[in-house]
Amino acid sequence: MYTITFKVQGALDQKVTASQGENLLELAQKRGVIIDAPCSGNGTCGKCKVRLISGAVNSIPNPHLEQEDYDDGWRLACQSTVIGDAVIWIPAEAGAFQKGIQTADLSSPEELERYEASIGKIFAAGLERGCPQKGLGLAVDIGTTTVSAALLDLQSGKVMAKASAGNNQIRYGADVINRIIQSAKPGGREKLQKAIGEETIHPLIQELCQSAGVEAGDIRRCVLAGNTTMEHLFAGADAETIRLEPYVPAFLELRGKVARDFGLPIDPDAPVILAPNVGSYVGGDITAGVLDTLMWERPEMGLFVDLGTNGELVLGNQDFMLCCACSAGPAFEGGDISCGMRATGGAIESCTIDADTMEPSYVVVGEPGTKPIGLCGSGLIDVISELFRCGIIDARGKFVKDGKRIRRDEYGASYILTFAAESGHGRDVEINETDLDNFIRAKGAIFSAIVSMLNSLDMSVEDIEKIQIAGGIGSGIDIEKAISIGMLPKIPLEKYSYIGNSSLTGACAMLLSDQAEEKVFAIGRNMTYLELSTYPGYMEEFVAACFLPHTNAALFD
Amino acid sequence: MPFKRMPQTFTASIGTVTIGTGEKAVTMGGENVLPLYSFDAPIANRPLIGVEVSDLGVDNTLPELAAFYAGADTVVEQAKRAATMPGADFLAIRLESADPNGANTPVEESVALCKAIADAVDCPLVIEGSKNAEKDSTLLAKVAEALQGKNVLLMSAKEENYKSICAAAVLAYGQKMGAESAVDINLAKQLNVLIDKMGVKGENVAMNVGSAAAGYGFEYVASTMDRVKAAALGQNDNMLQMPIITPVSSEAWSVKEAIVSEEDEPEWGPTEARGVEMEIATAAACLAGGSNAVILKHPKSVATIAAFISAII
Repeated sequence: MYTITFKVQGALDQKVTASQGENLLELAQKRGVIIDAPCSGNGTCGKCKVRLISGAVNSIPNPHLEQEDYDDGWRLACQSTVIGDAVIWIPAEAGAFQKGIQTADLSSPEELERYEASIGKIFAAGLERGCPQKGLGLAVDIGTTTVSAALLDLQSGKVMAKASAGNNQIRYGADVINRIIQSAKPGGREKLQKAIGEETIHPLIQELCQSAGVEAGDIRRCVLAGNTTMEHLFAGADAETIRLEPYVPAFLELRGKVARDFGLPIDPDAPVILAPNVGSYVGGDITAGVLDTLMWERPEMGLFVDLGTNGELVLGNQDFMLCCACSAGPAFEGGDISCGMRATGGAIESCTIDADTMEPSYVVVGEPGTKPIGLCGSGLIDVISELFRCGIIDARGKFVKDGKRIRRDEYGASYILTFAAESGHGRDVEINETDLDNFIRAKGAIFSAIVSMLNSLDMSVEDIEKIQIAGGIGSGIDIEKAISIGMLPKIPLEKYSYIGNSSLTGACAMLLSDQAEEKVFAIGRNMTYLELSTYPGYMEEFVAACFLPHTNAALFD
Repeated sequence: MPFKRMPQTFTASIGTVTIGTGEKAVTMGGENVLPLYSFDAPIANRPLIGVEVSDLGVDNTLPELAAFYAGADTVVEQAKRAATMPGADFLAIRLESADPNGANTPVEESVALCKAIADAVDCPLVIEGSKNAEKDSTLLAKVAEALQGKNVLLMSAKEENYKSICAAAVLAYGQKMGAESAVDINLAKQLNVLIDKMGVKGENVAMNVGSAAAGYGFEYVASTMDRVKAAALGQNDNMLQMPIITPVSSEAWSVKEAIVSEEDEPEWGPTEARGVEMEIATAAACLAGGSNAVILKHPKSVATIAAFISAII
């Protein structure tokens, strides 16, 4: 047996005994040392960089690790196994997703204003307020990456407190597929249920109650909205069928449950309402979100786009609704991107590049003076759009110019946004061709899903009268730049709007009104689910969309 | 009711690419009808046939092929012989030995060979690289330089190396280029867009949209070619109007039917006859799909396909 010491930046050292051949990432996870591993240890994301201070581990070389860094002691935890005693240093950014994730959780005055306006509109549209319970209500949006919650007074509708946190299941993989695979392993279902319940939602409830100065036992009604997989994993249901043909979830609606059934630390008899799912990849976050969009009572043709790890789309109006989902991958939230990160302190959130000098100027999340350590989704869209506009990359996302900010090595070229000396972690902040490739595939997935859905109805983008964007990445995105790289359809900018965390807003409305709750169930039952993976022509649309802005340039002229 | 002819012609047409110089220069493309639909309108230029000569020499295990090249012991001699093959419009020199994973012939030697052949024959030339994108980007650029004024077609630029081939071969030395993609209409168009953005005009580019031996997933090839021509003619998509050139021999002569010896499969008959049949079947299918030029290697296939083209058009 050997001793592995984890030195976590800003935390206490952890000593673990390990045997020969144990995987370093698994060892850390077992010990509760959190290392962000969006690819769940496949060696494809390069996020689990740790540094060997002394001793030795056996590491497989990986393109995410440059020789220089390797010589400096950096290793990918998931590609390293124990061969003796070792001291491992874990940098702060490896666990960055845990703290202060910037998300649409009603924490800013604008979000609160938007929320109040939305709730007002929902109840102005003919739904009556009122539910049988008195006291406090809890609304939770369970995202694959982020969980947001709000505590409401059921009578007045006032928001008493709000909070958000990273979904603790993240250590089992960044996307739903990896989570489902983990849940199918022996004891996996319990592990994932515990990660979302006890380790994520319970502390959030505690935080909410503390900040509002109330007792959790006074929470008498709870609404949860999450994608189909998240709802299954929360409920402890078998999620395997979501992943396997013919992709049918174990449940669409789960009604009549109370807090006791899920062990939620609120009034044990409080009803727990799960927003209904429509299909394997369109879940309760979307049905609740649709309530917020008001598409269900409007004559004009609307498109609702929820940009997240999974992109979900709803097209329709008061007469019909069609929905589908596409796998955008974690790129929009910083996964699969070498310098990608969630929108926490140090993330570059917007950027412009000078076409002549190729010099960037950017805005960084955090206190003024915060040094950049990576790129979040909105920053990524800006950088790619700017690189393309300046002719630094070609339409396939390959670098075609050279200069002091372009570095070329055996794995391809990259653009350096911040040199090591000015960055927050002492390494270059750069975007490489693999990142561009991953992003182009993510935006291609979204755009081709929009086109396929329109095609299935014999419609074109001109038929869309209103596009509403939701999702954490949405708040900061520059729609014009997103259009310039072919991520969103080219229609007049005034037809676009950003609606924040529509899932949480919808869940709050369900909390305050039985009629809103029933409406969401009605919306869920009335939506037609289009399975893109079996939709003929989707693959071809996808390949056509994996180009900047698109193979059919006429769509973006 | 009397039969009324309704010719299906298009206002758009396929672009043309001319290779070679002087009297022997040939042009592919130019039609405004679907492939081989000469009953709808005259076809501007009939499909062309190229004869492939490998720098690895003639495959002497094929008796008829060896007999055709009998006495031609050097690649230059073989090229001269190939140029006399009845039905052939151009010569395709395949620099197979330049592959870094094979013999890895140095660039200078390959270039010298191309130069010697170009001096020895007067027919139009196509130069096929090693299929290694990195090697080809330098190799084809050097060949372009050495053969300046000969108006040769260099194959192929791929997504990984199109920049250097555009810059050196076409923009600097005025040669023509082939743009190779992997049996997908969108990938084909994307490469053409990239090449266009480099400032290379369509009249300098022929597409190799990829192929497969008949029976080896050829339906993908057929559907890709069909849709390329439909978009080029029906939608006037000028990023898909480049003529299509398809190297057939390398596909057809590498499948089981063309390789397995008669000893192993006596009931299949002689190996060479099978290879010829594979080559003819694949070439005919490519022409029906929309290839404006095919590259073959066996004199029998060349003769058969030449007869096929003149019978149909």
